[in-house]
Amino acid sequence: MSAILEVTNVTRRFAGLVAVSDISFTLGQGEILGVIGPNGAGKTTLVSLISGTLRPTSGDIVFEGMRITGLAAYRRARLGIGRTFQIMRPFPGLSVLDNVAVGALFGHGSGESDLAKARDKARTQLEFVGLGKFASQRAEELGGPNRKRLELAKALAMQPKVLLCDEVMAGLNLVEIDEVIDVLRKIRESGISILVIEHVIKAIKRLSDRLLVLHHGDKIADGQPDAVLSNSKVIEAYLGRRRA
Amino acid sequence: MTASRLGVAVAIVAVVAVLATVPLFSSDVIVQFGINALLLAVLAQGWNIIGGYTGYASFGNSVFYGLGSYGVAIAMVQWNLPFAVGMIFGAGLAVAFAFLLGVPVLRLKGHYFAIATLGLAQVMSAIVSNIGIAGQNIGLVLPPLNNDHLFYELSLGLLVIATLTVFWLTRSRFGFGLIAIRENEEGAAVMGVNTTLYKVLAFALSGVFTALAGGIHAYWITFLDPDSAFDISLNVKMIIMAVFGGPGTVLGPVLGAFVLSAVSEILSSKVTNLAGLFFGAVVVAAVVLMPRGVADVMRQFRTAGWRYFVENLRAHRI
Amino acid sequence: MDLLAQVLINGVLLGGLYAVMALGLALVWGVLNIVNLAHGAFIMLGAYLAWHLYTYLGIDPFLGLPLTAIIMFCVGYALQRGLLNLVVRAPMFNTLLITFGLEVVLTYLAQLAFSADFRTINPPYAGNGIALGPLVVPLARLMAFGVAAVLTVGVWIFLLRTRLGRAIRATAQNLVAARLYGVEPRHLYAVTFGIGIGLAGAAGSLYGTVSQINPYIGATLTAKCFAISIIGGLDNPLGVLVGGLVLGLIESLTVLYVGATFGDVASFGILVLVLIVRPSGLLGKTA
Repeated sequence: MSAILEVTNVTRRFAGLVAVSDISFTLGQGEILGVIGPNGAGKTTLVSLISGTLRPTSGDIVFEGMRITGLAAYRRARLGIGRTFQIMRPFPGLSVLDNVAVGALFGHGSGESDLAKARDKARTQLEFVGLGKFASQRAEELGGPNRKRLELAKALAMQPKVLLCDEVMAGLNLVEIDEVIDVLRKIRESGISILVIEHVIKAIKRLSDRLLVLHHGDKIADGQPDAVLSNSKVIEAYLGRRRA
Repeated sequence: MTASRLGVAVAIVAVVAVLATVPLFSSDVIVQFGINALLLAVLAQGWNIIGGYTGYASFGNSVFYGLGSYGVAIAMVQWNLPFAVGMIFGAGLAVAFAFLLGVPVLRLKGHYFAIATLGLAQVMSAIVSNIGIAGQNIGLVLPPLNNDHLFYELSLGLLVIATLTVFWLTRSRFGFGLIAIRENEEGAAVMGVNTTLYKVLAFALSGVFTALAGGIHAYWITFLDPDSAFDISLNVKMIIMAVFGGPGTVLGPVLGAFVLSAVSEILSSKVTNLAGLFFGAVVVAAVVLMPRGVADVMRQFRTAGWRYFVENLRAHRI
Repeated sequence: MDLLAQVLINGVLLGGLYAVMALGLALVWGVLNIVNLAHGAFIMLGAYLAWHLYTYLGIDPFLGLPLTAIIMFCVGYALQRGLLNLVVRAPMFNTLLITFGLEVVLTYLAQLAFSADFRTINPPYAGNGIALGPLVVPLARLMAFGVAAVLTVGVWIFLLRTRLGRAIRATAQNLVAARLYGVEPRHLYAVTFGIGIGLAGAAGSLYGTVSQINPYIGATLTAKCFAISIIGGLDNPLGVLVGGLVLGLIESLTVLYVGATFGDVASFGILVLVLIVRPSGLLGKTA
């Protein structure tokens, strides 16, 4: 499996605090890579570093063989990197449909310049994530679970090559989690590589081809989900605390 | 286009046509009031692009206004160039200003942007009063042109172009980018919107209309000095008109400018003393009761009735 | 050289006054996130109040200052409780606009009540000065500076040491934090705004002794207060004192070396520059 995204020795400090420390990993073409870790492990920072809303203090990020470390967020989006936000950030005053249409208008390549066509594409994505009937509502009127779906639809409308999902399952019930897992699998089948950050270990274990564990900004494990979850370091750092 | 949309379009064309014929049968006083109201509407509409659609509360639009005024005045008085060239010169100054200072200033958010632009307006005013070619703090006197009908039609034409531009924004990729920036700038960036470029372009577009209005006003009034050309309270007026009418809507700012101009005109002719007080009181009441402007009241009032005002109160108080 | 020294003295004394002018604005902005465009108008009202106390009751502006401050505190308290609390959660535009509306109303009412004539508070010692070799320290300005320093330090101690002060500071982080201190937020907001306006009133009394007053001075004073708050930061009264001194010195020096008409270029140029260099404000607090 060739790598579509390579993260090499990436570190990010915030005023003395090290949020992400010397992390290296790769995301394979068509892979689903799960990233887990306790609160404050640096997961969201990692997504922000890849999507370009933050710059690494040191280290390199390479996407499809191209170094994107210092590239502005919008240029990464146009290269084909889409992300969702953990703290969901729709365009609150816009309709659900137009929220997604923004992704189609900009996004990968330079997007679709015709508004009507962009809205058509947006409608397809909304149907795909199951939000079709909410299209004309304002985004701020959506409830929690549907906002998660909206985040996904917005990112998908960009037609990304890599999708970075920041906790799209947190706060969902079991049925909703199953639905999201189905959607993510379908997305992968369409050829998009996925990096999923998650708290829900059961779900991510089922979904991921590979798991990466962060703890206090360090990578402490990387490998097959079963092997990683039985790793003593991981149990100690992450699971152990829950059992206790 | 649906039937109701077509209806609105026809109605608007009719209103514009009627407005265009006003000077033919109206008194000088009404034509002069019209020029003022139309120019204020252009200013409110210009502010709407950067403030209403992009979400950046600019207090620096009076800089564009001043640059447009001085562009025309300097071109006509100092260089003996025609008015049209002066207008282009003034608009060019506005665009140059938007690009040079927009890049650093548009990185600021919220109050900080508002205050930085306020500072810029003060700086520009002070700088211009020290420039010889701009007549220093005495100002410039333009060659008079006693043709109010022409100024009226020019102002109306400019307002129509500004409003069509804003209408285009609501259905173009560019406009969607601006709205996305207003709603959530970081979210817009990760979806591929070149936020810096879009903000600067919006600032410049806003500046062009503001500068052109300033240019027309300068030639019409035939006199300008730094204090009146870079007047901050004019900037506040455009914001109030846009916000009163409904920021981020196509017709709201125009409506707001017309209504508030008319009200303050009536008040200042009937009860001279109370006009200023009333203006302030209207602003206070409007912010409390209808924070999203007249346009929103018109949409919501039919369904919500008087509850609309109560709900606005509930939403924002503690 | 003497000229420079004299200008520096004047700049520092002016800066102290500037600091107390901006103190209330910075407090209200930092804690309530309300940018009070009417702040200068309240300074103007304070100045008129002091003028009336002096002219009709013969109360010295420095002795009358506490009275002015208390009256203005009550005005501010009532205004926040009755009006501004209605919009504290509204978008930024709206709080800017409502305080601008207040500015217009206050300026208008002042013009109606006090006429547009220039006034000055002229106590008998107004023209006195303390000679320091070839230099002169104007007495009224020195006293204004002293009061300004006392007020600034007083506010600082109040915010750090008292329970109410701590509740106010906590509110700057989180609007409902007041409850943790057992204070009703509506009351706390009103108290904070009241203190801001009370300080404006005190600043007005001092301003009236060193400068002319008329109903229209508010807008310029507000703009200067912005510059000072931005330079000095919002979270610490001592920062505001530094901001005031910086602005006072820069203005005085610019007038000396560049020319009187460039005074405003300097103060507002500094404001813009500081904002551009530190995009989130000097202390990194974002709106």
